[in-house]
Amino acid sequence: MYKWLKPYVLLLPAMMVILGIFIFGLAMGLIQSFGYFPVVGLNKITLKYYREVLTDKTFLSSLGFSFYISLISSIMSVVIGVLLAYSIVQSESKKGIEKVIYKLPIIVPHAVAALLVYNILSQSGILARILYSFGIIGDQSEFPSLIFDKKGIGVILAYIWKAIPFTTMVVYTVLSNINDRLLEVALNLGADRRQVFWYVLLPLIMPSIFSCFIIIFAFSFGAFEVPYLLGPTSPKALPVKAYIEYNNPDLTHRPYSMVINMSLTFISVILVWLYHKSFKLISRYDG
Amino acid sequence: MSKLELKNISKRFDGKSVLKDVSLVVNEGEMISLLGPSGCGKTTTLKIIAGLVEPDSGDILLDGESILDVPVEKRGTVIVFQDYLLFPHMTVEENIGFGLKMAKVDKAKRVKRVREMIDLVQLTGHEKKYPGELSGGQKQRVAVARALAVEPRVLLLDEPFSNLDARLRESMREFVCDLQRKLGITTILVTHDREEALMTSNKVAVMLEGSIEQFGTPEQIYKKPASLDIANFFGEKNYIEGTIENGMFKCKIGKFKANHNISSKVKAMIRPEEVELFPKSADTGVLGKVKRKKFAGDRIYYTILVNDTEIRCITKSEKDFKIGETVAAKIDFGNVVFF
Repeated sequence: MYKWLKPYVLLLPAMMVILGIFIFGLAMGLIQSFGYFPVVGLNKITLKYYREVLTDKTFLSSLGFSFYISLISSIMSVVIGVLLAYSIVQSESKKGIEKVIYKLPIIVPHAVAALLVYNILSQSGILARILYSFGIIGDQSEFPSLIFDKKGIGVILAYIWKAIPFTTMVVYTVLSNINDRLLEVALNLGADRRQVFWYVLLPLIMPSIFSCFIIIFAFSFGAFEVPYLLGPTSPKALPVKAYIEYNNPDLTHRPYSMVINMSLTFISVILVWLYHKSFKLISRYDG
Repeated sequence: MSKLELKNISKRFDGKSVLKDVSLVVNEGEMISLLGPSGCGKTTTLKIIAGLVEPDSGDILLDGESILDVPVEKRGTVIVFQDYLLFPHMTVEENIGFGLKMAKVDKAKRVKRVREMIDLVQLTGHEKKYPGELSGGQKQRVAVARALAVEPRVLLLDEPFSNLDARLRESMREFVCDLQRKLGITTILVTHDREEALMTSNKVAVMLEGSIEQFGTPEQIYKKPASLDIANFFGEKNYIEGTIENGMFKCKIGKFKANHNISSKVKAMIRPEEVELFPKSADTGVLGKVKRKKFAGDRIYYTILVNDTEIRCITKSEKDFKIGETVAAKIDFGNVVFF
């Protein structure tokens, strides 16, 4: 009796915490983004904050900047990760060492990765000092500004450093599971090694590559610490802007912060949907 | 159409000899079978011909020219694998057109050729389907069409029917044989199915433990096996030891006229189908008692005890004898093989 209820009952404690916090937080954020925040005297539901934020130039440039760093870091991580995974699969002899080394950055927190990038690539960093000691640059200001720069190079490098191992790990696993004999068939039908990669391997790993891309993009789009530590003062990445708005001592500014958060949430939902779609591609192949 | 010659091909894997001095000639447009039990080196031979495995020694000639240094993608010796190995991310037409696309064949020509192949293997209407949406027989036909599309010089079939059920296997076998005859492609079929090898091929090469033990027409292989091992590979037989003197074979079950002139101690191989059973009253052959009987639909497998010697025979199911019944067993010594 009521057997069908059992799994739901068993899941309830965990789901109460997860969904409770998530749904409550989201609902509160959504309500506040519409200007309803009675504690500070905002009682009227309005689209004013959306109008103001979505037409604000600094918001738009932050949105553009976040898109830019997420897109560049995702593309580069995926491309380098795929090539690295392929090279590990190809090189039987060094597999043991490579398999350990490439995974190391995965266990390093993003904040630490940001500090590593800062220590190495800032104008007073290790690389600048080495170049100075070799006489290649005469002053630290001659070293290109890679940190806090408008192109977000430092942020992108930190994300790439973290995300390449992730992509490599996922793609390597998928590549290792592809039937080697499919490659033999391709060669036997006249494909050269390059064609085997482009026409057989790449399409087969494409759903995983796409999933990796979405995960990396979503993370770099919504993460706060790396652009906060390494990003430029202007434009700020969207999560940094949301954080600053949130910390505004004037609590009537809270709806602005929530509109930014809702924008981030909306984009994340689209990315989750795309991620879900990518799995449909895999199931099509599996048949 | 090409003539293929294997010359003294040897191969070792991890110190173990897999192929020992394999030599074989397949004439233009001929279909031969490489027949042998699992692990005897049949697939390795195909892979060596295709260039997927390098031999340790020996040579492969295609139309008189060595192809050992020709890379796999340029050999024109295409394998159809046992498990089809269709590209899962490609549709039927993409799979069939793969080799042509790799060869950078003009798109219009490619489409035309794919169309022809689809018609040839009777897969019209399935062009846009993915392998996961096809039945075993359809997948097999796609694999064959994909191989034929590139117009191979030699077609290599690696147990292509073994994953199909009995009925489908039979129809696919006929289908592929018809195609081979129609297109006249030099073909090597690897199989462990004796009947398949005998039925489909111009010649059969029996392979045992990495060596080709006998190469000949299906009739030669079946009727005159070169060794006991080959004879055994072709199924259960009766072996009766005896001596031949003055054209007569003398053994425990009697004295029979032998089509063999050398006087010696021999072992006679009698196929179960060459022993005919009659009621005791028929007054022919030797008398024996039915010891065992297995009904197999259109046939009955009997074991007859003749002078303490067990003789296995196969009869049509109309010839129904009871266990313990005395019967007359007539042996056709004209087809008996002496070793």
